[in-house]
Amino acid sequence: MGTFRMTQITALVLRAVAQGHRHGFDVMEACDLPSGTAYPALRRLERAGLLRARWENAAAAHAEGRPRRRTYELTAQGRTALPDAEEKLAQVRRLLEVPAPVQVRRA
Amino acid sequence: MDAPRLWVRLLSVLVPGPEREEWVEEWDGELAAHGGTMAQAWGALPDAWYLRTEGWTMEGMLRDVRAAGKALARKPFFTALAGITLAVGIGANTAIYSVVDGVLIDPLPYPEGGALVSVNHTAPGLGVPLVPHSEGSYLHYLERFRTLSSFAVFDEDNVNLLTAGVPEQVGGARVSHAFFDVLGTAPLLGRGFAVGEDRVGAEPVAVLGYALWQQTFGSDRGVVGSSVEMDGVPRRVVGVMPEGFAFPAAAGVWVPMSIDDADPDLGSFNVVGIGRLAPEATLTGANEEMQRLLLAFSDAHPDELSRDVLEQAGFRADMKPLKDLYVSDVRQALWVLLGTVGFVLLIACANVANLFLVRAEGRQREQALRTALGATRSDMVRHYLTESLTLALGGGVLGLALASVGVRGLLKLTPVAVPRASEIGIDASVLLFTLAVSVGAGLFFGLFPILGYRRADLSGALKEGGRSSTGGKERHRARSALVVAQVALALMLLVGSGLMARSFSAMRSVDPGFEVADRLAFRVSLPSAEYADAETTRLLHRTLQERLAAIPGVEAAALVSALPLADTKNASPIEPEDRPTAEGQLAPLVNVRQVSPGYFAALGITLAEGRELTFDDGGDLTRAVVVSEAVARTFWPGQSALGRRIRGQGDTQHAWEVVGVASDVRFERLDREPELLVYLPLIYGNPPNVIQTRQLAAVLHVSGDPLAFVPAAREALREVDPRLPMVDPTTMEKIARDAMAATSFTALLLGIAAGIALLLGTVGIYGVVSYVVSRRTQEIGVRMALGAPASQVLREVVAQGMVLTGAGVAVGLLGAWGVSRVLATLLYGVSATDPATYAATAAALTGVAALASWIPARRAARVDPVVALRAE
Repeated sequence: MGTFRMTQITALVLRAVAQGHRHGFDVMEACDLPSGTAYPALRRLERAGLLRARWENAAAAHAEGRPRRRTYELTAQGRTALPDAEEKLAQVRRLLEVPAPVQVRRA
Repeated sequence: MDAPRLWVRLLSVLVPGPEREEWVEEWDGELAAHGGTMAQAWGALPDAWYLRTEGWTMEGMLRDVRAAGKALARKPFFTALAGITLAVGIGANTAIYSVVDGVLIDPLPYPEGGALVSVNHTAPGLGVPLVPHSEGSYLHYLERFRTLSSFAVFDEDNVNLLTAGVPEQVGGARVSHAFFDVLGTAPLLGRGFAVGEDRVGAEPVAVLGYALWQQTFGSDRGVVGSSVEMDGVPRRVVGVMPEGFAFPAAAGVWVPMSIDDADPDLGSFNVVGIGRLAPEATLTGANEEMQRLLLAFSDAHPDELSRDVLEQAGFRADMKPLKDLYVSDVRQALWVLLGTVGFVLLIACANVANLFLVRAEGRQREQALRTALGATRSDMVRHYLTESLTLALGGGVLGLALASVGVRGLLKLTPVAVPRASEIGIDASVLLFTLAVSVGAGLFFGLFPILGYRRADLSGALKEGGRSSTGGKERHRARSALVVAQVALALMLLVGSGLMARSFSAMRSVDPGFEVADRLAFRVSLPSAEYADAETTRLLHRTLQERLAAIPGVEAAALVSALPLADTKNASPIEPEDRPTAEGQLAPLVNVRQVSPGYFAALGITLAEGRELTFDDGGDLTRAVVVSEAVARTFWPGQSALGRRIRGQGDTQHAWEVVGVASDVRFERLDREPELLVYLPLIYGNPPNVIQTRQLAAVLHVSGDPLAFVPAAREALREVDPRLPMVDPTTMEKIARDAMAATSFTALLLGIAAGIALLLGTVGIYGVVSYVVSRRTQEIGVRMALGAPASQVLREVVAQGMVLTGAGVAVGLLGAWGVSRVLATLLYGVSATDPATYAATAAALTGVAALASWIPARRAARVDPVVALRAE
């Protein structure tokens, strides 16, 4: 697998899964991302081994009369990467919160 | 299967094989859990694309594009043929889409144009799609609407402008005070109209349009506040509208209406309503409110609009997007055209796919080698898709160029006044459309060779030198399917254009009931201030007609309130006096025209019975009227109409005596049966209620070129009253041609599209049969060596082409029948399922296809067995 680089999008998605959004569309809604952005991010995280996908129990789905859904969860590696992701998001937040560049005064 | 799930399955082709099944299942699961709308399913495209391309690098892609470019350049003929086919297909789609986008899709160019609504009624029971407002209904609604934040009415009316002694007629509109507020457009200079300015007794004011302000007033800012004479009345100019503001389209000046609050006109529905939806309101809610208000209006004024009449006429509120008011005439034709060019593109794609399939056949060895050298299936897919997408995008760029030239040419060519024509052009949404169409086309024809590709074939391909493998058979099947589809689509287009052509010829052979050759027509409108009393107007009518008739070369001249095929309807419920309509029933709507003496002769309308009208008819004593044969037939079937009397429904005061019966005339449209028509004198009634015609058209029967008589007619008009401008001089031939314009234009475009489709379809059949012949050369050689006669070979090969054609024709006939409903409204004089047209086009297509198969078949029949056998 190629090298994985944490971006704001993958960070958002990773955190959403960590917060318990376990299906593709739920992640998408939680992150407020279009499905065309959320899904590739899920795929990349999965390829990089940060997420693991499982199929829900087919019998349970059938009982509710719908197809089974694919669920995502964090791997151990994903949990390790979580602080990295949070840091990435915090960076963005800081960037957005600082109203103007701070003047650096020379002594 | 519903659309989103079908979409996901279509896209799954892109997803690499091992992941495909689970990918579909995952999307199914999510869609099922979240409502599964098409909007949600769109995301499957980027997802599938991501999975398809995840191994791709920028460097690799550039390498692929370069390789694709080289491969295409190596086969210049193939590339040019495919590229031009695509450019034509994509260009036609872009051109028509840009028209559809500008006319039908773009919102109106006013602030929050989407909230603008047409606030009118409809009365299908009367055959009237749009019933506007009377002054009374306007006031009634104005006070009560809650779902509209503003509401106004207007009426288009030409205005005679007198500036520095020079007369000029400009398009104008009489509007209620909130007109500019509804459209959300403030004047450039000065102000719009204030509350109360549209009431009787208010100071006469006017707002000028930008173009008029520039041209006639030299962009003088001082014009605001000055007085300008309009229709003989001095009006104070209070504002100038900004550049580009044109509503209604022909308006160059706006003046307020003059409504009498105490006694508004309740029953003449002739001012068109527009409104702006309140922020929270919906169109449905607004329609419901308007319907309630209409019923209340009816209850308040049962004499003007009883509940019975409402019911019989199907009279009801009809609020809809304002845009729809102006594009309804062309909407159907445009969608049909867009569908048509869509078909052409599909056929073009099928042809290019066929070319690619043939090419893939020749490249089996290359593929096998690549695979042997370690290329994966994914590499091959990428390779092919890059090639087809490069070609498609090239075709798209070329098509865009064709379209931008084509649209301008089309709009110049079109004899039809396309509404909102100025908004048509290549904008961002058109570019996006072209990009999507190009990529779609590229994927479509690029995927075909890939579908035929099987790893298992390859060892065979290497061994057999690229000949006759199962993959080849599969490709052949794909190619045959493409040809069947092409033939089917081409037949559908041929049937469509055949039906349009028959409509056009049916319309051309319609007898309008009047002569169009050697006729000049123009308009004059008399300002009401100067032609206030009937005697002045009557004198003008007489002298003008005399002067016009006296021009050397003019055989007859007459005046009329409205020209046939050019002017709008003016109809009233009319009944025969001896057979009044039953209580609560609505009398037939009869078109009313006012004509001068000599009108029937000037237009070559036969007088079946009785006499013409004279200038003395319509005065105190004789209320004489000429009716059309249709009226006579309807009111007094099998009897003479002469001496009978007719009247406006329920009007027991004034009856009219029929003094003549004129032959039927198609007044409104060529493709409708002749309307019920009565002809009244130009001036009638007793003081103070004299009705006089001030909106006039003159008709001249001349010998020679009608337009050569324009200067003399203008001079005659100037002699009679130098302040009256001559408006729209034209020939009746042109008017009749314009009346057929929409049909002839649609027929022409459909014809072109069907021609292209036929050509492409034929090339497709020819290609497939040729290919089969080339593959079977050896077999044919063997059989001929064994004694098979050439004629049998010929028959066999042609039969192969005909089987494909037959299947295509069968599918095409079903398809044409299936979509015939769409065309039906555009047709005249021919049924949308006309068997003759279906049979003729099917026969023509079969004939052309037979020829296309016969050419390669003859080649097969001439195969020299020795040469064929030696070739191996």
